Amino acid sequence: MKADTNFSEGSGIPAEARKTLTQIETDRAAYKRKLIISFIILAIAMVTVLILLKLDFRFMKNQLPFIFAGMGYTLFVSFMAISLACFLAVIGALGRLSKNPVFNSIASSYVSLIRGTPLLVQVYMWYLALPQIGKALEGYGFTGIQAYFTLPALTAGILALGVCYGAYMTETVRAGIQSIDPGQTEAANALGMTRTQTMKRIIFPQALRVIIPPVSNEFIAMVKDSSLVSLMGVWELSYRAIKMGRRHFQSLEMLITVALIYWMMCIMLQYFQEKLETHMARGDRSIR
Amino acid sequence: MMENDSFMVKISNIHKVFHPDMHVLCGIDLEVKKGETVAILGASGSGKSTLLRCINFLEEPTAGTVEVDGIVIEAGENDKLRNGRIRDIRKRTGMCFQAFNLFPHMTVLENIIEGPVTVLHQKKEAAVSYAEQLLQWIGLSEKRDEHPSRLSGGQQQRVAIARSLAMKPKVMLFDEPTSALDPELVGEVVEVMERLAKEGMTIIAVTHELHFARDVADRILIMDNGNWVEQGPPEKIFNNPEQERTRQFLAHIL
Repeated sequence: MKADTNFSEGSGIPAEARKTLTQIETDRAAYKRKLIISFIILAIAMVTVLILLKLDFRFMKNQLPFIFAGMGYTLFVSFMAISLACFLAVIGALGRLSKNPVFNSIASSYVSLIRGTPLLVQVYMWYLALPQIGKALEGYGFTGIQAYFTLPALTAGILALGVCYGAYMTETVRAGIQSIDPGQTEAANALGMTRTQTMKRIIFPQALRVIIPPVSNEFIAMVKDSSLVSLMGVWELSYRAIKMGRRHFQSLEMLITVALIYWMMCIMLQYFQEKLETHMARGDRSIR
Repeated sequence: MMENDSFMVKISNIHKVFHPDMHVLCGIDLEVKKGETVAILGASGSGKSTLLRCINFLEEPTAGTVEVDGIVIEAGENDKLRNGRIRDIRKRTGMCFQAFNLFPHMTVLENIIEGPVTVLHQKKEAAVSYAEQLLQWIGLSEKRDEHPSRLSGGQQQRVAIARSLAMKPKVMLFDEPTSALDPELVGEVVEVMERLAKEGMTIIAVTHELHFARDVADRILIMDNGNWVEQGPPEKIFNNPEQERTRQFLAHIL
């Protein structure tokens, strides 16, 4: 009953109001308590189910180092792909908002085409179909070009993920830019700023704040979609887990293990997202 | 020629057509002398804000000529250097908006030095020291490092005025600077505008603030449906208007 102390007598608040305030505080504390208890019960239930399934925990523990060795690939692919995606998203968003018909139509087609086709098809396109394009080009006299069109699995994976997420994020960035009050552009123009200065100094910094939650969302989704590079034989987290599971007929153990690893990674990302959001929110009363 | 030199702003035959059936400005002329304070009054939708925004090309006039401090731009001309000339006009004109439009991600000081540093390429130290003078002048030195969201509307508008003044403009445009303010905050903004007028700044203000129009302005212009109805010194407009439309309008705001 710590809550009572906040509204002690003599604070100038009438007794009736103090009673209400104390009640609100008590209710809030009770809700928090119940919430924590619910989470604990859920966790216990999950662990119980795992035990009842008679999982081979020793096997899981023994395979952990082998699976973890794939973490580097997963992180590397995700990081490279998200960097590429962010770059493409900014260019794409500027294109979508551009009054230049060529730039605009290229950006719009990019978004439409990439969003309209499955990522799985795109991954194979980069890995398996691109060499064929190189071969066709050789036929037109570009000798030696095929080597450049035959990509290592890791490169193909990064390009596929980066280009795909870049298309989704183009729309996120565009919406973020458009969410900024036109008065901001007018004020910048009235000062005599060029279009580039306005974008760089006034619009982007404000748009960034708006797009951090959706972009983090994309990032978290991408970390998990990075498992698609396993299709090309890259030994990342999920590839290793699936391989080990099959070999020992203990897929359940391996899949649960790798799922938990992804989950932990995403929980960490979410933590960084919240930190970043609080940091970006300074100066904004509505968020603070 | 000599006479022409004493004009800071000269607008001839400005038309603005948004749609074929929305003829907002119908051939407006306006000449404002150096150091003159002009108040433009008129019912909402009469075109006065549009006219003001045509002066610094936030709105592109459909036809006509704008001249600010000797820089002449024709509506609709097709010239590679035109955007640069428009920016030259903008550097010479300060503008204050009804909604202030301060940059929320910057502190008060950063807002004020943004123009001088980014547009005029001034050294940061020089810009900061002038910004501090301006902050003192508007009486907000202690808010230097606050973000705009922590300021009252009146304080925000005063910072917006300082932000414009940091560019050392030749003419200040005010687009209903007190319309979004709580009544008790109007005074502090008008007081700053009044001091600015007394220091010899050329001012064109779209405003319904009576004290400013009657006691500060040298000349009042009344606009209706994209045309001038009447113009003259404040005493004449308020005490002895010639046009029936002026009388009707004043009856509304008085």
